[in-house]
Amino acid sequence: MKNKTYVSDIDRSIYDVKDKVNASYKSAKGLTAGIVNEISLEKNDPSWMREFRQRALKIYQDIKPPIWGPSLEGLHMEDIVTYVRPNTNMNLTWEQVPTDIKNTFERLGIPQAERTSLAGVGAQYDSEVVYHNVREEVKSLGVIYTDMESALVEYEEMVKEHFMKLVTPSDHKFAALHGAVWSGGSFVYVPPGVKVEIPLQSYFRLNAPGAGQFEHTLIIVDKGADLHFIEGCSAPKYNVANLHAGCVELFVGEGARLRYSTIENWSKNMFNLNTKRAVVEKNGVMEWVSGSFGSRVSYLYPMSILKGENARMEYTGITFAGNGQNLDTGVKVVHAAPGTSSHMSSKSISKDGGSSTFRSAVKIAANAENSKSSVSCESLMLDDSSRSDTIPVMDIRNDKVDIGHEAKIGRISDETIFYLMSRGMSEVEAKAMVVSGFAEPIAKELPLEYAVEMNHLIQLEMEGSIG
Amino acid sequence: MNLELKQANQLPVRTWSWLKVNELKLQQDIPDSSPYDNNPLKNKALPKEIQLQYRRWQDNIGKISTGMGKEAEEFIKNHKNAGISLHLTQGTKQIEPVLLQYCIDEANPSILEYNEIILEEDAEITLVIDYKNKTACSGFHGSLTYIKAGKNAVIHLVQAQVFDDSITHMNNIGAVLEDGSTVQITLGELGAGTLAGGVMADLDGNNSNFSLNTIYLGDKSRSIDFNYVMNHYGKHSVSEMNINGALMDTSKKLFRGTIDFKKGAKGAKGQQSENNLLFSPGIKNVSAPLILCGEDDVEGKHAANSGRIDEDVLFYMMSRGLDELTAKRVILEAWFEPVIQKIPDEILQGQLLEYVKERLDHVKSL
Repeated sequence: MKNKTYVSDIDRSIYDVKDKVNASYKSAKGLTAGIVNEISLEKNDPSWMREFRQRALKIYQDIKPPIWGPSLEGLHMEDIVTYVRPNTNMNLTWEQVPTDIKNTFERLGIPQAERTSLAGVGAQYDSEVVYHNVREEVKSLGVIYTDMESALVEYEEMVKEHFMKLVTPSDHKFAALHGAVWSGGSFVYVPPGVKVEIPLQSYFRLNAPGAGQFEHTLIIVDKGADLHFIEGCSAPKYNVANLHAGCVELFVGEGARLRYSTIENWSKNMFNLNTKRAVVEKNGVMEWVSGSFGSRVSYLYPMSILKGENARMEYTGITFAGNGQNLDTGVKVVHAAPGTSSHMSSKSISKDGGSSTFRSAVKIAANAENSKSSVSCESLMLDDSSRSDTIPVMDIRNDKVDIGHEAKIGRISDETIFYLMSRGMSEVEAKAMVVSGFAEPIAKELPLEYAVEMNHLIQLEMEGSIG
Repeated sequence: MNLELKQANQLPVRTWSWLKVNELKLQQDIPDSSPYDNNPLKNKALPKEIQLQYRRWQDNIGKISTGMGKEAEEFIKNHKNAGISLHLTQGTKQIEPVLLQYCIDEANPSILEYNEIILEEDAEITLVIDYKNKTACSGFHGSLTYIKAGKNAVIHLVQAQVFDDSITHMNNIGAVLEDGSTVQITLGELGAGTLAGGVMADLDGNNSNFSLNTIYLGDKSRSIDFNYVMNHYGKHSVSEMNINGALMDTSKKLFRGTIDFKKGAKGAKGQQSENNLLFSPGIKNVSAPLILCGEDDVEGKHAANSGRIDEDVLFYMMSRGLDELTAKRVILEAWFEPVIQKIPDEILQGQLLEYVKERLDHVKSL
C-alpha cells in the first residue's frame, strides 16, 4: 500500500510537562456567590469591583449557553476551580520566581525571548501573574505595562473607566463568567505619539488540572501611538476538563496602531472560550494576527469596532484542528463610521478527524459610507474523516460600500502538484511545499521566534500522497 | 386564513442570533382559497406521453426536503388549491417547453400551488411557469414544488413572478437528483411586496448536476428572503448557484446559500456566486454564504460582491451621451438579461424585460 502523507500532531513535549501543583490558595470547585466573594477578598478588590463581580455572576446565572457552535459537553462548571494562586508573589526578576515555575517558562523560551526581542514580559501561572518586567527605556517613554491587579491599585480610575466596557458581562455567558471570576492579565497604556519599537508579550500558563484561567488584558494605545503586543498561551494535558475564558479589551486611539498577535496552543482537554474586542478611533489601525492550534473546543472571534472615520482593521488567522479538536474561530467587524476598511484573511487545516469552522460577521452601519471590506477564507482538508465549515455573514446597511467575500474549500489540487512536478520536484516535495506554503502568510506576519514556533507546531512529514 | 411560519428558511448550521439570519419568521392573514379552476396550460396540446394533471396529485413522490422547510410545506399541502402532477415515463423527451400561467384575480386572491414532478430514467422536459396578478388585486401566492429526477433525466424549471407589491409570494422547492441527472432552475423573483423563497437540492446520484440562477429586484419597501441549499451526496456531483440582484429605496434582502459536501461525495464540486447592486442609503442587504465540508476530495467556492455600479463602466456609458440615470438603468437592465435569456420562451422573456423597465421607470434616482 502506498504511504500517505502524514501531517503530524503538534509536538507538545515542551508544553505537556506538568508541574506539581503548589498553590498557596485554591477556591472550591464550582461557582457560587460565596466563591466569587472569596476571590474578591483574596484579591483585596475595591468595593466597585466586588459589586461588579457579583453583578456579573447574576448575569452568568441568567444567560443560557450558546445554541450555535461546537458542543460544550464535558464542561461542567461545578467541577472547575476558578481561582488557583501559585505559591509566590509577583516578581520583578526571574531569580525571584520559584524554580519549578521558572523552569516551565524557561522551557517555553520566555526569559530568552525577553532578553533578545521583547520590550517587556508578563508571565501568568494559573490565576496570577508571577513575573512582570518592562525595559527602562520603554518605561521612560511613559509606557505603563503591568499586571491587572497592580493596575487596579495604581491606575484605578483608568481601569474603572475601561474595564469590561467594551466586552460587557451581558455579551454572552462566558463574558459574564469572566466578569465574576477574572484574575491576572495585563494592563498597557501607551501615551500619545509614543511608538514602542519592540513588542511587549504576555504569556499565560495554566498548570493546575481542572482549573480555569480568566486573565483580563486591557490595552490603551493613545493618539498616534504604536504598539505590538504578543500573547502566548499553553497548558499541559490532563484527563479532566480545563477552562480558559479570558477577555481582551483594546482601545486604539486616533491615528494609533496596535498589532495584537496570539499563538494559542492549549492542550486537548481545554475549553477555550475567549473574548477579544477592539475599538478603533479615527484613522486608527488594528491588526490581529492569530494562530489557533490547541484546545478541545475553541470559540474565538476577535471583534473590531471601527468607530472613527477611516479606521482600519486587518485580520490574519490560521487554525489547525487535529484529532479530538473542534476549533470554531473567525472574526467580527463593525464598520460604524465613514471611510472605514477591513481586510480579513483566514486559513484552516483539518486532519485526523479534527473539525475547524470559520465563522465571521461583517456589519456595515448606515452611516459607514465609503467603507470597504474583504473576507477571504481558505480551508485545506487532509483526509475524509475531518470537517471544515465556513459560516460567514455580511450585513450591509448603506449603498456606498465595496464588499467582497471569497471562500475556498478542498484538498490540494492535482493541477498544482502536476505543475510543481513539471518543474522538477518529486510528488512528495511538491505536496510538502504546498502544505507549508499554505501557512506561510501568517508565519510571515509573526515575529521570528513565533514563526519558528509555528513551524514547529505544524510539523509536516511527507511520505507519499495526501488523502 | 392565517399563515404563521416560525422556522422557515432555516440556515443548515446556526450562527450568532444577533445577526438574525438563522431563520425566517412570517405571519400574515391571507385571503381564503377556493379551487383555482382556470386552466394554467398555455400550450395548445401536449403529446400523450406526458402525463400532466391539474389538482390531481399522486402523493407518491416520496420524501423530499425543501429549502423553506417543513412548516412551509405543510401549509401548502393543507391548503392547496392549484398545481400539477407531471410524470414523464422512461425515455420521454419533450423538446418544446411546457408553459403554465397563474394569475391572481378577484376570484382567486390566494393561489396555493402544489406541484409534483417525476421524471423517470432518460426523460427530459422544460417547464416554464409564470405568475402575475390582475391590476389592483391583492393576495397570496404560495408554491411547493417537488422534483424527482431519475437516472440521466433532465429538467429545466423556470418560474418567473411579476407580482405587485400587494402580493405575498412564497416559493418552496425540493429536488432529488439520481445518477447522471440534471436539474436546472431559473427563478425570476422580480415582484411581490413580501417574498420568501427556498430551494433544496439533494444531489444523491453520482455525476448529478444542479444549477440555480436567480434574479431579484428590490425597490420601495420590498422584503426578500432566500434560503438555497445544495447537498452533495453523489460522487462527482456538481452544483452551481448564481444570484444577481439590485436593491433600491428601503428594500431589504437576506440571502442564505449553502453548499454542503457530505462524507463520501468524492470529486464533487460546488460553486456559488452572488452579486448585489446597491442604489440607496436605505437598503439592507444581508448574505450568509456557507460551505460545509465533511469530505476532503471536493472543491467548494464562494464569491460575493456588494456595492455600486463600477465607476469606470458608468463613466464610459455617460461619455457616450447618456445621462447618469439612464446609464444606470441600461446597466441594470443588462445585469438581468443573461438570466432572463435562459428562459426558453421569447414572449415571457420580453414581458420580464418590459416589467424590469417599468419598475425602473418609477425610480427617480439610482
